[in-house]
Amino acid sequence: MKFRLLGVVAAAALSFAPARSLAQDVTYEQLLHADDTPQDWLMYGGDYQSQRFSRLAQINRENVHSLRAAWIYQPKQAGEAPIESSAVVVGGLMYVTEPPSTVTALDARFGTKIWSWTPRLPSKLYTIGVHRSNRGVAVYENTVYTGTLDCHLVALDATTGAVRWDVHVAENGEGYAMTAAPRVLDGKVIVGMAGGDVGVRGFLDAYDAKTGKHLWRSFTIPAPGEPGSETWGKDMTGTGGGATWGTGSYDPELNLLYWGTGNPAPDYNGHDRPGDNLYTDSLLAVDADTGKMKWYFQFTPHDTHDWDAIQVPVLFNATVDGKPRKLVAVANRNGFYYVLDRVTGRFVTGVPFVKQTWAKGLDPNGRPIMLPNTEPTPKGQLVYPDGHGGTNLNSPSYSPQTKLFYVSARESGAYTLEGRPRVNFPDFGGGGRLNLSGDQSYGAIRALDAVTGTMKWEYRFLAPAEVSTLATAGGLVFSSTNEGNFFALDAVTGKLLWEFSVGGTDTEANPITYQINGKQYLLVASGNAFVAFALP
Amino acid sequence: MNTIECVRRVALAFVACSFVLSALCVSQAAAQESEPAAGESKPAKTVPADPELGKRLFEQNCSQCHGADAGGDEGPDLRGVPARLGDAAVVNIIKRGIPGTAMPLFPDLSQQDAANIVAFLASFNTAATQGTVKGDAKRGGALYQSSGCPACHIIAGQGGIVGPELTRIGAMRGPGSLKARLIDPGANLPENGTGFYASKWTEYLMFRAIEKDGHAVEGIRVSEDSFTIDLKDASGKIHGFWKPDLRSLQSEPGKSFMPSFKDVLSAEQMDDLVAYLMSLKGAQ
Repeated sequence: MKFRLLGVVAAAALSFAPARSLAQDVTYEQLLHADDTPQDWLMYGGDYQSQRFSRLAQINRENVHSLRAAWIYQPKQAGEAPIESSAVVVGGLMYVTEPPSTVTALDARFGTKIWSWTPRLPSKLYTIGVHRSNRGVAVYENTVYTGTLDCHLVALDATTGAVRWDVHVAENGEGYAMTAAPRVLDGKVIVGMAGGDVGVRGFLDAYDAKTGKHLWRSFTIPAPGEPGSETWGKDMTGTGGGATWGTGSYDPELNLLYWGTGNPAPDYNGHDRPGDNLYTDSLLAVDADTGKMKWYFQFTPHDTHDWDAIQVPVLFNATVDGKPRKLVAVANRNGFYYVLDRVTGRFVTGVPFVKQTWAKGLDPNGRPIMLPNTEPTPKGQLVYPDGHGGTNLNSPSYSPQTKLFYVSARESGAYTLEGRPRVNFPDFGGGGRLNLSGDQSYGAIRALDAVTGTMKWEYRFLAPAEVSTLATAGGLVFSSTNEGNFFALDAVTGKLLWEFSVGGTDTEANPITYQINGKQYLLVASGNAFVAFALP
Repeated sequence: MNTIECVRRVALAFVACSFVLSALCVSQAAAQESEPAAGESKPAKTVPADPELGKRLFEQNCSQCHGADAGGDEGPDLRGVPARLGDAAVVNIIKRGIPGTAMPLFPDLSQQDAANIVAFLASFNTAATQGTVKGDAKRGGALYQSSGCPACHIIAGQGGIVGPELTRIGAMRGPGSLKARLIDPGANLPENGTGFYASKWTEYLMFRAIEKDGHAVEGIRVSEDSFTIDLKDASGKIHGFWKPDLRSLQSEPGKSFMPSFKDVLSAEQMDDLVAYLMSLKGAQ
């Protein structure tokens, strides 16, 4: 019986070339060259450069109009928060996360569940300023890595979901939480934390991928006497914020991690923190072996508008003024699009990509020239962009074919209000904001020249959206709206080619694409469901 | 309401409030990742609730929607609510908001702050508050019938479908807001939600859609996304449009299917009608 069954399996495998079993180990070599295996979607951001560009071209400009739903997976415990998971696909197995901190492995061809792991979260869970959701996992060798809301980093066996190790990274009782996908390098897992709004001390952590042993911690708020501490007025190591709640990128040649940091605390009242407040609202370049900061670039010094700089940094190479340069691009919540030299951190370009009313412009070093009357006031000061920013966590994409940077642009303003400076957890806002209504705002996908930031086209939609983009070699850009529309645009012209209402009011997850048995799939999550699409 | 008016209205609302107001508290919880999250607060201290302190907190945080005297405005009359729902339930609503409604959460009000506000609300003698509604509800009920209101509004299962249902309107809005609607129905339309996480939208906003063949439909927006819009016309019929199929789509701020009763009813009659509407609390 057993032999006969094996025979059937073998025959089936032969008929579906290439024959691959599910749940394959992922090597560092594969991760390094993720774009060579476009049938997989190996990590958050697609590759270490976080370009979110796929070489798959089966679905293209000519046939995208006939895309149709292939399967829908609905998590059993539809939560209070929407799904925000960016899936990872390895050899036909898909790893997704469900709110609040569940990891599930699916057969990527059918959307059927293979295993699911849910941590036992404490009944008293602090999630102030933190979505009760999760953005995804990292996969390396035979292990899946995830962060939990109560701030544990957990390694799960990729085939069974069994816990291999579990590390308590920081105290949720002090306001720390984890929602971002970890970044895995050669034998190391790098993970950030959330909780900046309640005044925790931000850090980036590295752990041994095999054992969970702690390797290094890099703080984003300097201790007294350390460089940068003079930008606070006093010791703010206990309360400064600067959370690392996104997922950074990695340059293997330079061995540098690029990771954004969040707002200083309290968010809207800067009186108690005179100075630039390093290293909040910054991009940090960190040595992956030691955790030592090689350089930093601060986008919004002394922020009082909650403009976290945790947007995913996109690494790309281009010729600038006749010279080949290694660059990193960030479309920032403060409304500016920045290009930096990723070797030195030097400012290359910076231009607004949405309406902004707080800065006259950027100086030659990329520092904003502040306009008067833009600080929060007790009665409210209208400033563009709003507190969600010109764009937010949801990842942009870069196509090496078009050399364009595709980003969700939010055209909205907010009244920002100054309140009491709070210094006791869990009260820490120091003010607040009221965004303009949907009827006074709009959203768009914008294609920017990656080097200059010049807008090439835009595709407008109803409301300012917190959505991601995916670019493919099929000449397409996929994105969504916050009303639940998933759509495809021509990557060159921005023309709408296809649209499908997946429902749900929060299409915040990053869409991905992969291929199984010669068939290309697209996956988007919205509200409480994952929806996969393929050609008939 | 055009954009400028709306901006001004928001600005005025801020001026009207002294310091920390509702949205501010919502956004504080939501600051980092932009979603109001239900955070737990520290255990309540065993200090007796102070209605005087609660009054000040109410003015700062709640009066924008519920009126300075808690008698209701865009939001409902809250006087006597603790007696109906229980103190703990009201504290919980203050702390966590009511999802899907305009009631935001106030996570950075402490348990004690919320208890003080509840003490303030409980301090109203429900019987004494009847006086704030000036008119005669019985006369107002007759006016409601004779003025043609049932043609468009449902109360307790009876009436037309063009306008919003009014069965619980007295529990949803205050007298000032209802009177303003009777005078200028299309002005200062209410907004749904708190606008913090997802966008909030103007309710009952009218649009005019013209199809490619020139056929025009005017109606109240009942649904919209980037590709579609649904309008309810003057007969209550709902029309769905695929936006790319339209020649034009224009919002009509300030417009309403409802006529103004400014020159139709006397001031006294207006008060009577408001009194009747305020008496509509639905099933408790």
